[in-house]
Amino acid sequence: MLTGFNITDYSKKTEDLTSTEMTEESIKKVLQRHRLSGSCHVVTFQLEFQILEIQNKENLSSVITDLSIVMEPTEYSELSEFVSRAEERRDLFMFFRGLHFFVEWCEYRKRTFKYFKDKYPDMVHLPKGACSLCMGIRSTSRPGFELVIVWRIQIDEEGKVSPVLDLLTKIPQRALELDKNRVIETAPLSFRTLLGVLGIEAAVECLIRLLHAGNE
Amino acid sequence: MEQANSVRPDGEPKAGILAHLEGLEAQMSRPCKRSKELQQARAEESALGTKIHELRRLRDKLRAEVNQQRARGKASSANVESGQTVEIGEQEVLERKQESVKAILQAYRFTGLSGKQTSRGVCVCISTAFEGNLLDSYFVDLVIQRPLWIHHHSIPVFIPLEKIAAKYLQTDVQRFLFSLCESLNAYAGRKYQADRLQSDFAAFLIRPLQRNSLCNLLSFTYKVDLMGQSSFCARLLYKDLTATLPTDATVTYQDSLLGTEALSALREEQRASHEALFCTKPLHQVFASFAREEELDLSLAS
Repeated sequence: MLTGFNITDYSKKTEDLTSTEMTEESIKKVLQRHRLSGSCHVVTFQLEFQILEIQNKENLSSVITDLSIVMEPTEYSELSEFVSRAEERRDLFMFFRGLHFFVEWCEYRKRTFKYFKDKYPDMVHLPKGACSLCMGIRSTSRPGFELVIVWRIQIDEEGKVSPVLDLLTKIPQRALELDKNRVIETAPLSFRTLLGVLGIEAAVECLIRLLHAGNE
Repeated sequence: MEQANSVRPDGEPKAGILAHLEGLEAQMSRPCKRSKELQQARAEESALGTKIHELRRLRDKLRAEVNQQRARGKASSANVESGQTVEIGEQEVLERKQESVKAILQAYRFTGLSGKQTSRGVCVCISTAFEGNLLDSYFVDLVIQRPLWIHHHSIPVFIPLEKIAAKYLQTDVQRFLFSLCESLNAYAGRKYQADRLQSDFAAFLIRPLQRNSLCNLLSFTYKVDLMGQSSFCARLLYKDLTATLPTDATVTYQDSLLGTEALSALREEQRASHEALFCTKPLHQVFASFAREEELDLSLAS
């Protein structure tokens, strides 16, 4: 679809709240109750919202007076906070915009992790399968070394979606002691810099190559 | 014996007996003929009789058929009617389905982005809202060709449509639309805040609000203390065109008696807090909080 959303059901009820005093002043007040359900990729949503329309001589104002959102699946914890915020602010469009980009990033994360898992099946480890938040990289020749990439998808106050990647290292004690240049310590920060320079895929490839090179 | 048919020299019809015999013979043959005729007649009669029978039978058969047809005709016309009621039933169902599909298509407006097919492409409708207030809608008429192009649109000139189109239109239409959506919603939000300030909090403005068309540069002089003389001068800059909050807020304090030099600690505190407020809360809400404080002060004073 145009926006990536697929609406499967919609219904609307209208209630006229115009009082006799209002009619005298040619003011019309109508309450609309909307029910909408649909999906965006694997995520399904059910919305119930109310719009209060007040028409007076000068203009027409339409205000969302209530918004309730139910999402499924609920595994995306990052999403639930965003949904509560959207409900609080009765910001319907921000919800849909945010949802669209969030799902897009989730799909991209899934594809990227799968790509690396397929390419380096022995080295790459996805703890929770396809919907993993993390990707572990192990060296087959040097057990005990593991690099874990944590890829979170954040939605800020304004509904802007952005990926946040972090590197966690798991290094044997002995190796840490030998690390005079404190490479391990600075690894997370270096990874962030690398991301900025190469982008996500190339940076991750780089890391895998590091441990892979160790195999030869 | 003399020949019977020769006339005797003396010319007397000697064939009396012969003639008689002949006559009798003739008489004999006549009834034979007659009976033959009779037989024939009888045969004909019976043939005709059978024919009549047949025709009668045929007539009755046809009559029966006509009656049947008539009866069937009535039934089938009744059937046509009942068929029509069945069709009407189906039609109602189809109409209802069509309505529900239409309703669903309308519902797409609530996602902020909806489209209608046109002869050459699609006409996209972008809806804007701020804090639950549904604001203006804009449209972009896209022609689906290679390259994709915009036939016409209702986007205001100060929105960077060309820039966004240059970046995304050819490679990622969805991204183009969402980006445009973002810009339009942000503009609508800023405009809404400025409008609300002008309409609801005019009492706090010493000089009218100055704004540009994009509503990303606002300048105004205001007071928080309706009775007092002191005023603040604010300049709000929204560098991020996809945001509804300013990136920079500069507030200066002006005392009509003392000028801008004498800045007491209290005023400095106020000035700084205002700067922070403008950057974190929507404009009209900041003034709403000023109004509430003013009310509180008044109620405390009285």
